[in-house]
Amino acid sequence: MSGYWGGILGILCINIIFAYSIFLPAASGQLNLGGAGFMAIGAYTAAFLNTGLEMPMWITIPGAALFTAAISFVIAFPILRTRGVYMVLATFAFAEVVAGIIINMDVVGGASGYEVPSYAELGLLSVFAIGTIVFVFYLLATRFGLSMRAVHDDENVAALFGVKVRFTQVMTFTIGGALAGIAGALYAHQYNYIEIQYFNILISIFVLLYILIGGTQTAWGPLFGAILFTFLPEFLRLPEMAGMANGGVLAEWRFVIFGTFLVAVMVFRPEGLITRALVDRLRHGHVPDDAAGETG
Amino acid sequence: MDSILSFTEVHKSFGGLKVIDDVTFDVARGSRTALIGPNGAGKTTIFNLISGIYDIDAGGMTLDGADITETPIQDRISHGISRSFQNIRLMPHLSTIENVMLGQHTRARGMVDLFKPMGWGPGRRWADMAEDALTRFGLETYPGQVVGNLPYGIRKRIEVVRAMMADPKILLLDEPAAGLNKQETTELQNLLRQVSDQGVTLLVVEHDMHFVRSLCEQVVVLNFGRKIFEGTPEQVHKDPGVLEAYLGTGDAA
Amino acid sequence: MLITQQVISGLMLGGIYVMVAVAFTLTIGMLNFLNFTIPPIFMIAGMTSWGLSYYGLPFGLSDGGLHWAVALLIGLAVAAAASLLVERFTYRYLKAKYGDATEHAIPLVSSLGFLLIFENTMIIVLGSDSQAFPVPFHDANLRFSGLIISIPQLVCLFLSLGAVWLLSSLLKGTRTGRGLRSIAENPDVSTLLGVNVHRIVPVMFLITGLLCGLAGIIFTLNYHEVSAYMGNEVAAKAIAAMVIGGLGNIWGAVAGGIIVGVVETLSIHFFGADTIKISVWGILLMVLLIKPQGLFGHTRIGKGKF
Repeated sequence: MSGYWGGILGILCINIIFAYSIFLPAASGQLNLGGAGFMAIGAYTAAFLNTGLEMPMWITIPGAALFTAAISFVIAFPILRTRGVYMVLATFAFAEVVAGIIINMDVVGGASGYEVPSYAELGLLSVFAIGTIVFVFYLLATRFGLSMRAVHDDENVAALFGVKVRFTQVMTFTIGGALAGIAGALYAHQYNYIEIQYFNILISIFVLLYILIGGTQTAWGPLFGAILFTFLPEFLRLPEMAGMANGGVLAEWRFVIFGTFLVAVMVFRPEGLITRALVDRLRHGHVPDDAAGETG
Repeated sequence: MDSILSFTEVHKSFGGLKVIDDVTFDVARGSRTALIGPNGAGKTTIFNLISGIYDIDAGGMTLDGADITETPIQDRISHGISRSFQNIRLMPHLSTIENVMLGQHTRARGMVDLFKPMGWGPGRRWADMAEDALTRFGLETYPGQVVGNLPYGIRKRIEVVRAMMADPKILLLDEPAAGLNKQETTELQNLLRQVSDQGVTLLVVEHDMHFVRSLCEQVVVLNFGRKIFEGTPEQVHKDPGVLEAYLGTGDAA
Repeated sequence: MLITQQVISGLMLGGIYVMVAVAFTLTIGMLNFLNFTIPPIFMIAGMTSWGLSYYGLPFGLSDGGLHWAVALLIGLAVAAAASLLVERFTYRYLKAKYGDATEHAIPLVSSLGFLLIFENTMIIVLGSDSQAFPVPFHDANLRFSGLIISIPQLVCLFLSLGAVWLLSSLLKGTRTGRGLRSIAENPDVSTLLGVNVHRIVPVMFLITGLLCGLAGIIFTLNYHEVSAYMGNEVAAKAIAAMVIGGLGNIWGAVAGGIIVGVVETLSIHFFGADTIKISVWGILLMVLLIKPQGLFGHTRIGKGKF
């Protein structure tokens, strides 16, 4: 495999884990626009453990996951009190505060970036990615997963049936934080260099798009979204890289094409590309009542 | 009378407006009781007080001898209170069977049950139980379907089945027959009789007096947040206070 | 004296934030929609004006660059048109079947799509570099007792406050305005009351497009510099202003915009530019968590699930 595609696959693994970190709270009804902040905490924790304390990766990655989870747990309580637009803004503000703090922390390089010596091979990244996929599918198959989706649909009724709404939300937010921490740690070890400018609002927006375009109704959605969003921009660059005449046009317009694609998906498949009904149809051949669930 | 639910001098106001004003009544164990009254009489508010959506301002409420006045919303169901809603509130993105399994939640919310897969292995029994219930209530055709687009009458009945899965002592039904056609109403009545025969107490808010007369043996009438009558469906039509309440508002019962 | 000068600059900057913040607060208050196309629409007004004054009309329709005033007016019109285009593909699809979290993210995602489309199209057409807008006025400053007040900036501040005042009286005094406010209260009820939602929502997008466009051209006039990214920083400050003022509250956004403008220039003056991020966003986060209704807002707005 060429280094180029190896690099893309590495990004894919990180993107999948990151997508699931935002998917878990979203599946229980919480939109998090602060993904970059949680990922930055994971990346800088791993980097600090690796560079500052000279720890090996089998400590830095779990360490990053635990620390990010702990921070997520603590801020989950005030943040989950907010609703709707307020939550989107609060998570966004949280990510900006994280970036603002890190840029002023000279111990981790401040604005000038931070070296991370240990290198994570593609093999390690894929172990974490596959582990995350299996874990999320397992979680959604449990009664806890049922509670998550019930809270997503109707908090009050879920509570009436005995679902601990706050517990469910805090748990998904915290587990999501842990996954974002892993994604950040893997990013740090994959690139061996991090700078806070990378963890900006665009990263938070893109990861939210992975899951909303992929679909939040099933665990397949974020996986599909992450794969699509990782490869699509690269495919649009292929003609240029292959040296085709006018190949650069496609590359130049790729973000416009991408934006148009987003708008089109929201028009034609507002619940994301992978819906519950689609998964059922692929699994069982067809669903008796075709209309059911397609838009619902 | 052996009462399962009793309301004692309950008061509730919203922003100075008295919605429930000194209401006292008892629901007999195993009975089928109707709660009726003109629009705005406070019937749904009573349901929301019983299920814990609102807190009581003053007064008390006991269920099967236990004081539940202060019990938080998510714990009331384990005391044996389960309900359906005026506007169906099934989870639109869950399938029929998953909605029904949500009804089991209060019986399976220990940490082990929470993190056990439901589709296979030992957790499978919950799915089997839900499927059995659907079969028992004649809804076995729809288990895997996302409920969002199922017919109204079917969804109303699924809601009752979901409420039943919690093994309630008392089942609160908020306008169960509203919006149903004649055949659907009959099917629902059969379902409710089946439920009642299992010993579950029914408390029903309903406008359709024909439905009330054929299902319920006890009636409580509210008007402007006050209880104005308590008795049998036969007596209710002869009561001058009730007649005045209904004629006064122009709302024929 | 130096501080007074800083406060004056802050007020001018605040005037820009005010208009963008009002545009944000209107869309959130009425449609419960965080509109991410506001920064590119602000940018479109500025960049289009620059492009027209530098290159002239496309396809050789004009002989060289346009007069700056004509360029700015066309820039404003293009911004309003872009906002209407956004309405066509975002809010029309907001009416999802169930009121749950992720379906209401539909307009959010579409608006992010438009953000990418607008910003990158502009980069492809006019490049990603900062460009200098030709300065129409030379040294038009008022000076008294050591203070310098730029006349265009002063005019623009009054223009922005005037625009907001006009808007707020239109909302109170006209049929369309009342229709808009009834949508803010409850879209279903307003449909029952005979308000044609599909006709009135485009009006709102037209208003926000004009506000952002006006802010964009005022910014271009005062700071003489445009780029494809010019909207992002301003929009971030405007969001802060909106939160401080309380979501959905027009005069709250006005106060918030001025507060943010003044605090920004003062804190850069006293503490340097590095700490501004923590202070602005930290305060914002605190307000959201502790007093989510802002300084002037009411809690109802934006509570509905996304």
